[in-house]
Amino acid sequence: MTSRWRRSVDELALRGRQRGECERAQEALGRVTSCFQQLAASLGSSADGSFLRDEMDETRNLAQRICRGLSRRLLRLLSDCGPAPSGLEDRQVSERLWVLFLSALETFLSDLRKACDLIGRFPLRQRYDRRALVNTGCVDGVVAVAARVASVQAPWLTLEEEPTPDLTNHITELEAMLSEMQLRVPVAFWSVEATQPAGVEACGGLEGLEGLQEVEDSLEELMEGEIVSRRPACCCLSCVG
Amino acid sequence: MTIRNTLQDHGQRYRPRMACLKKSEKVLLEMQDPKTGLKSQPQRLVITTIPHAITGEDIIAWLADRFQIDTQEARSFGSMLVALGYIYPLQDHKRLVIKPDSSLYRFQTPYFWPTQQWPVEDTDYAIYLAKRNIRKKGILELHEQEHYNRLHKWMNHKWDFIVMQAKEQYRAAKERKKPDRVVFDCQERAYWVVHRPPPGTVTAMDYGLDRQVDPNSDEAITPDFYERIMIFTQQSIMRPRVKSSVSIGALVKYCATYNNHDPFLSRCLPSNPWVTDDVTYWTLNMPCVEIPTKMRVERWTFSFAELLSDTRGRDDFRLFLKKEFSGENLAFWEACEDLKWGEAASIKEKAEHIYKTFLARGAPRWINIDGKTMEVTVKGLKHPHRYVLDPAQTHIYMLMKKDSYGRYQKSPVFKDTVKKAICPDEHRFSCAQLEQNSKKRRPSLSPIILRQMEQEQRAKMAANIDITQLCRFTTPVPHLAVYSGFTDYPTATASPSLTFLAHTPACPSPISVALDSTSVSERRTETGEGEGEGNPAARAQVGGNVSKSRMALSLRRLLKGGCTPGTMFASLSPKCHSAASTSSRIQPISPDQPSQAPPRRTGNFFQIKVDIPPECRIYPIESEDEEEESRVASRGGVGAKEIICPWESLTTQNGTG
Repeated sequence: MTSRWRRSVDELALRGRQRGECERAQEALGRVTSCFQQLAASLGSSADGSFLRDEMDETRNLAQRICRGLSRRLLRLLSDCGPAPSGLEDRQVSERLWVLFLSALETFLSDLRKACDLIGRFPLRQRYDRRALVNTGCVDGVVAVAARVASVQAPWLTLEEEPTPDLTNHITELEAMLSEMQLRVPVAFWSVEATQPAGVEACGGLEGLEGLQEVEDSLEELMEGEIVSRRPACCCLSCVG
Repeated sequence: MTIRNTLQDHGQRYRPRMACLKKSEKVLLEMQDPKTGLKSQPQRLVITTIPHAITGEDIIAWLADRFQIDTQEARSFGSMLVALGYIYPLQDHKRLVIKPDSSLYRFQTPYFWPTQQWPVEDTDYAIYLAKRNIRKKGILELHEQEHYNRLHKWMNHKWDFIVMQAKEQYRAAKERKKPDRVVFDCQERAYWVVHRPPPGTVTAMDYGLDRQVDPNSDEAITPDFYERIMIFTQQSIMRPRVKSSVSIGALVKYCATYNNHDPFLSRCLPSNPWVTDDVTYWTLNMPCVEIPTKMRVERWTFSFAELLSDTRGRDDFRLFLKKEFSGENLAFWEACEDLKWGEAASIKEKAEHIYKTFLARGAPRWINIDGKTMEVTVKGLKHPHRYVLDPAQTHIYMLMKKDSYGRYQKSPVFKDTVKKAICPDEHRFSCAQLEQNSKKRRPSLSPIILRQMEQEQRAKMAANIDITQLCRFTTPVPHLAVYSGFTDYPTATASPSLTFLAHTPACPSPISVALDSTSVSERRTETGEGEGEGNPAARAQVGGNVSKSRMALSLRRLLKGGCTPGTMFASLSPKCHSAASTSSRIQPISPDQPSQAPPRRTGNFFQIKVDIPPECRIYPIESEDEEEESRVASRGGVGAKEIICPWESLTTQNGTG
């Protein structure tokens, strides 16, 4: 009798640990995908180069490993949600994680598709291809971004080491993962609610960045430039003179 | 999990209308060439220098040189590139135009280019707004705040992800060097100015409806595919042809006529609502407005179709016809429109109603159409369908057009309308007022309310039918409770006015095409004679006067009690009038009406009843008929007339002759 009780407690603890793992992995995934976006934004521009593309591949690989692990663990979490006493809350938390992961997956997929298209358009195989690159004003390599990516840690990353898949294969694999997850577990995503109210991100200072607010303000001013107030914003395409 | 919100989807699925995008990209890549492309300069900021800034005048000069066009066109082209989002301004970032001076621009990175395959996701916009919230500490612009609130509501399930991702992206951007960070932020901001424009702007990404089928994809070759090709080519062969000189001449004439009336090619008084967000123009030009504008009244003189298609114009014309006592023509035409565009279930009923009111001999609002057309129409009415009245309607339309329309334009009614027409002053809005206007934009009345208003209007018009507006060929005795009919369909404003322009008599139904071949030639000879003989209008009036006096005579005879109803009404029937009429246009209905009642019933084609409401007694039973006939005869009085459709009485019977 007590052993059964103990087992259920152990189960709860295990599931709690797994959820924690998934949450940390989710944060890591967010970090990797946002770095990937920064890299992809430079594709086709004057900052494009082989270094950028290698870094993108590395980032992709990392993201892929996180995704694989996360999807496996989430599937396990949500498929075998047994008749536990506090099952409802746990289930809600798990569902929330599920929805967050799938949203992240979709956003990452759209970035991947864009990147694939851009790489196809600006192949950079020959030297003269560089002439076609758009002069956007970016010159920096994205070294720091790459470093940030490298600093990402996820619980199972050290365990699984696989070679980087091709971009198109990567996309196909992720799409398959997405549809498989959606088919295997029925989750009513509209029942998941946000844990924070709207606008909270504006109030809380981001950790370690309070000192940089003045810099932010000056940057904003730089971006504004001079504002000429004439007719309110309209593009002249359909104006009648 | 994405709920695909297609409301503001500027994604470019199946949008070959945006073929300009691929072309713009080519031009943009050409501009990058180190030798022949644009020369850039560094942008000097307070703390740093950012390369690759280009001036507006350089862009314009390069475009003019590359494409061999003049400065004005190069400027429009450049503005288009900015409006599409390939180049963004560094100063005044919300105005997507090229300024021909030293204001600076920069090329947008290909990741943010507007292209065909990638839809613009609301998720990305939500993340961007969250990032802006972080940076601006909650102070967003008004429209951004509205979007934020809306997205927070609709994307609540993934809001945690959005906030997390916003924070991560914010941190990731910080890893870059300062100049690049500024550049990236400018790029992202420019991207969203293009794809989520602030209110009051005209966006270049408006492309109209999404196509459901990708026109560039290969179509499966099936028998159906070939069948569609065959139908298309058959219809092309059947289409009537016209010499290009004629059609081009017509186009030129149309453009010359309507040039000043086009709100985009010339001025729109008081102001174009699409540009200034002020709806006075629409209010002044509502369908049932009391006093029309001068431009509107001028349009009525362009063509008869223009007059009829404008509700206000039609009202004015109706008023004029009322004064001339020929309102039945317009009423008939409107009834035919209502039949054509109305519900299928009510066709039979409406057709009979129209017959009784307008076409039958002795009908209260009898219209004047030639014998051949009448014959064809009545024959067709045995099996009524939508287009059964087309020949008659076309005839009446041409009658009104050639006769009444001209007189209308010279009439005091029209002259009065012209005098009273207003010409509003042009609005001159200041910047601030324009912004206020754009904030005050409200949707117009819901179609449900509009339809209710139209129905009320129609009911009011029906209640006001003037029963003295009888055709001059029917009895004008006022104390008769005459069934003036046509209570239900006075103005077919709703559906016909919408579709009228597409279906003028110039686009005849297939049936009328076949019928017209005979009646047109007839009408042509008719009108030819009519015009040749001088003033048909005067003669018609003379005929009318004659008929009126003849009617009075007949009534006096009746009241003396000397004649039976049969002979009296026989004398009143149009059949007799034809002898007196001198107008060649008014042709008699031949006495040998094939659709007449069974031969046994000769003489009076209709019967007289007293004060019977129109709804009853439409299809009387045979025996009752005879009873009433005898009753009337014995009474010697007169009452409400009732028209029996000739196809109703199928069996022969005995009765008083």
